[in-house]
Amino acid sequence: MEQLKRNLKIFILFSTFALKSTFQARLGIIFFIAGKILRFFFFFFFIFLILSKTKVVTGYNFTQAAIFYLTFNLIDTASQILFREVYRFRDYVVSGDLDLILTRPFHPFLKVLLGGVDFLDLFLLFPYLAITFFFAAKLPHITFQSSAFYLLLVLNSLLIATGFHILVLALGILTTNVDHTMMIYRDLSTMGRFPFEIYKEPIRGFFTFIIPIGIMMSFPPKALFQLLSPGFYLLSFLLSLVIIFLSLRLWDYALKQYQSWGG
Amino acid sequence: MRKYLKIVTTTFKEYSAYRLNFILWRLRMFISTAITFFLWFAVVGGKNIQFGSYKESSLLSYILFANLLYEFAMGTRTVDVAGEINNGVIINYLLKPVSFFKYYLSRDIADKLLNVFFAIFEIGILVIYFKVSLVIPKNILLAFLFLLNGTFISFFLSLMLSFLGFWTTEVWAPRFLFFMIVAFLSGAYFPLDLFPGPIYHLLLLTPFPYLYYLPTKILLGQVDSIIVLEGAMATVWVFLSYKLTRLMWDRGNKSFSFWGR
Repeated sequence: MEQLKRNLKIFILFSTFALKSTFQARLGIIFFIAGKILRFFFFFFFIFLILSKTKVVTGYNFTQAAIFYLTFNLIDTASQILFREVYRFRDYVVSGDLDLILTRPFHPFLKVLLGGVDFLDLFLLFPYLAITFFFAAKLPHITFQSSAFYLLLVLNSLLIATGFHILVLALGILTTNVDHTMMIYRDLSTMGRFPFEIYKEPIRGFFTFIIPIGIMMSFPPKALFQLLSPGFYLLSFLLSLVIIFLSLRLWDYALKQYQSWGG
Repeated sequence: MRKYLKIVTTTFKEYSAYRLNFILWRLRMFISTAITFFLWFAVVGGKNIQFGSYKESSLLSYILFANLLYEFAMGTRTVDVAGEINNGVIINYLLKPVSFFKYYLSRDIADKLLNVFFAIFEIGILVIYFKVSLVIPKNILLAFLFLLNGTFISFFLSLMLSFLGFWTTEVWAPRFLFFMIVAFLSGAYFPLDLFPGPIYHLLLLTPFPYLYYLPTKILLGQVDSIIVLEGAMATVWVFLSYKLTRLMWDRGNKSFSFWGR
């Protein structure tokens, strides 16, 4: 408990620093938020365009397709809020500054994974939540149970996202390449903007079970619509544990291989 | 001319020196193209669906050709310029007997050629694996002329964004916003004529459709009745963006100061 309190204190301290540096770039705040809002509405239009021309999203109406898109936004935004520091990890490795983090008396993840809370995305999370609530309220058969499972699976998706980010950190140490691996993960996750049924086999199977973007982004809305069978809940939770386990193992391996590059 | 050719070959060598970086970059580009393709393949693939004026083969051909031409029109190294202004490296270019604009154009040519070369193979994989019946490209010369205009517009717009570095260190946020706008309004995700008519015609007044949307349409054999006007508009945008870039460059150089190099 004492350890948890201490870690929380350090996390708050780093987050305060992040908030201060965010407000150093006031022009950037406006442009970044404007860009993200534009992207949000552009894709909303894109979904509307596809649905208005064809009934291709098998079995899903516009409200349901919107919830898929909004859930993607919630998970993507939440993981960017928490793990923004990963995008700066390469600098720590190539400059040798990682040594200074590793020798400090706290877990390095507090700095390299959670040390740069992105407050710009935090501002956007609230409108996304409100819009998701608005669309979810329009669903006719929503129950307390389905909403609770939705939340649980969103949290599970964040756990999978955590695993992916730790994998990126480990690969960053092994290859000094972070930006591209991070963006490959981000690009792949954008498949979750649409219901996964839209993709044909073998693409759907590959991105559901091998690279579990489908489980991350598609399972929570399906739980909300009560379309997910019990076996898939179990699979989802098991998979997140496996990814976390594997990513931690790779991180340990990468640390053993680490040699200070710069300094 | 020889020194700029040397810059082209040096840029090729630079890319081959950082191979993993380039491979990962291409993987990203392939994934990005593939995701848009998967989506549209799911919408129209194997179905007799008319989407606006597009049928299966023309829509899938549009997506693949547009992504290929995107590599040529939008591939650029000028994003580095802002950082070079902010950290003072740009002074090195100013002292050398090379034109800054031609230097970066040469680097861009190398970047475009390399990326297009790999993109052809990547798109080929999608075409073969998904058995796409591509529309045979038409009006290649006209499309190339439009593409050349689009490439220059993109080059100057990107330089302008980087030249903001002369006045501020906050250079990434405007580029991010610009990239978001370009991504949708230049036709990377869908053909712009799927927009309602009035919006489409308003868009034709902006530089975005001239980047690679119109060249792609021309390649598909869909030449608008107002093609001459569109050509004139594209030329106006090249001229305007060039003049504005030069203005920013001249003003920026006058206001620029750096120390310690």
